[in-house]
Amino acid sequence: MRDVYVAGIGITTFTRLEYPLSEIASYASMMALKDAGVTEVDQVYVANMGSPRVNHQTALASAVVDSLSLMPAGAAAIENGPASGASAIKAGFQAVASGMEDVVLVAGVERMREVNNLEATDFVATLTHPLAEYIYGVTLPAHAAMFTRMYMDRYGVTERHLAMVGVKNQNAALNNVWAHLQQEITLEGILDSPEAMTNNPYVAEPLRFFDACPVSDGGAALVLVSEEKARELGRPMIRITGVGQATDTHAVFEREDPTDLLAVRKAAKDAFAMAGLSPSDVDVAELHDAFTILEIVESEEVGFFPKGEGHIALEKGETALGGSIPINVGGGLKGRGHPVGATGVAQAWEIVTQLRGDGEARQVEGARIGFTCNFGGFGNNVVCLTFVRED
Amino acid sequence: MAREIYAYKCRLCGTLHYPFRMVCKECKQNDFFEFDTVPLPKAGTLVTWTRVYNLPAQYEVATLGLGIVELENGMRMLGQLEISEPELGMAVIGNVEVVRKEPYDDYYGMVFRAA
Repeated sequence: MRDVYVAGIGITTFTRLEYPLSEIASYASMMALKDAGVTEVDQVYVANMGSPRVNHQTALASAVVDSLSLMPAGAAAIENGPASGASAIKAGFQAVASGMEDVVLVAGVERMREVNNLEATDFVATLTHPLAEYIYGVTLPAHAAMFTRMYMDRYGVTERHLAMVGVKNQNAALNNVWAHLQQEITLEGILDSPEAMTNNPYVAEPLRFFDACPVSDGGAALVLVSEEKARELGRPMIRITGVGQATDTHAVFEREDPTDLLAVRKAAKDAFAMAGLSPSDVDVAELHDAFTILEIVESEEVGFFPKGEGHIALEKGETALGGSIPINVGGGLKGRGHPVGATGVAQAWEIVTQLRGDGEARQVEGARIGFTCNFGGFGNNVVCLTFVRED
Repeated sequence: MAREIYAYKCRLCGTLHYPFRMVCKECKQNDFFEFDTVPLPKAGTLVTWTRVYNLPAQYEVATLGLGIVELENGMRMLGQLEISEPELGMAVIGNVEVVRKEPYDDYYGMVFRAA
């Protein structure tokens, strides 16, 4: 297997974007191609969850490759729910690692604000089990809420811990010009003051408005290349060293212990094993905090902290910038936004930015090893990646 | 006649499944549809719950109660709750009713109430 490097990265602002879906993907891709210094690629993978349903557009990769004048490169879209982004990176990795391609463009994109909030919520809910979950009106916030209540009962996580994740990540987004939310929040405003219940109402008890990521449009892109090509291009040598992916039962209630996220645990374990790393080696991590509880639980399942102690590490500031393992320093999904197909690629974009030392106010000093966890379904399809700066 | 929701029992190894899957997760040996249907129990205890405020467009209610219930045979299922003050571990009893209405389609599922 050949080594695979990230030679270029690009991203759009995550917000409500009044541009066609394929142009959002193409904008991020242009930035990544220019960053890498390439004008031709062998293969394009476009990660997207909802274009046929939300944007009434199919065969998205064909539109993107045309918009970028990359013909006759191979092109395909990859739909894997909210884990589409990292799944497309995995496909790109395999293409280069196998020796079949030398230069692969991976773009992730979603334009969810084209429909109203009710339709967007319903669109995401279609990833649940059709007969045992979806028909009951289950939404992703509802899944996260039921999960949170079990976690609170068993491990002592409180609404304050959830709010602390929200404050940490949303305020981290203030250091990221591409992030959707650019509004500082405080524990007083969303939890402690008499106005908190107005500012921060329940969306699905015990989760409140500020526990959930916003509904965003946006795109992100990477250029993946072989080692030979990476040296020729002369960009910082950021290598993808570990790729892990795992699945779990479609219906959440069917899991032996529904508070375990076994797919996260296995995907991370496999990524670390492939990379020859352990969780304690990681300098900076991007975890999939679509809901605040998920950052806490994933920080345990990927191995940064023992099970049930993620919220204690949070209290101690270990997951903040300057802590032992800074998590989501660019805002995470909570602050940056969560255009579902783009998220896995945007996580990689943030890690590469960090490993290049381009993080500015949010830079983790001396970061050389990065980790991403892209969480699909409600934990039924998860992709973890490790990144290492080699030069 | 009371409506039922069914579990699926593997004809080869006897493992119960809900929801339905094509291949048994224990023995993985099935040919097509080698399952017998067995009605799910209706009594159980509440494992977790939520009250949802932002619902998909089809729901014309202010809030919706949802929960996971451990049934008396040890299997779990998700259902709607008609319980004003749910508590973890409380005893509940289910009834199969319409849980989602779409144009020309009624979807039936389990609705749990305090036992």
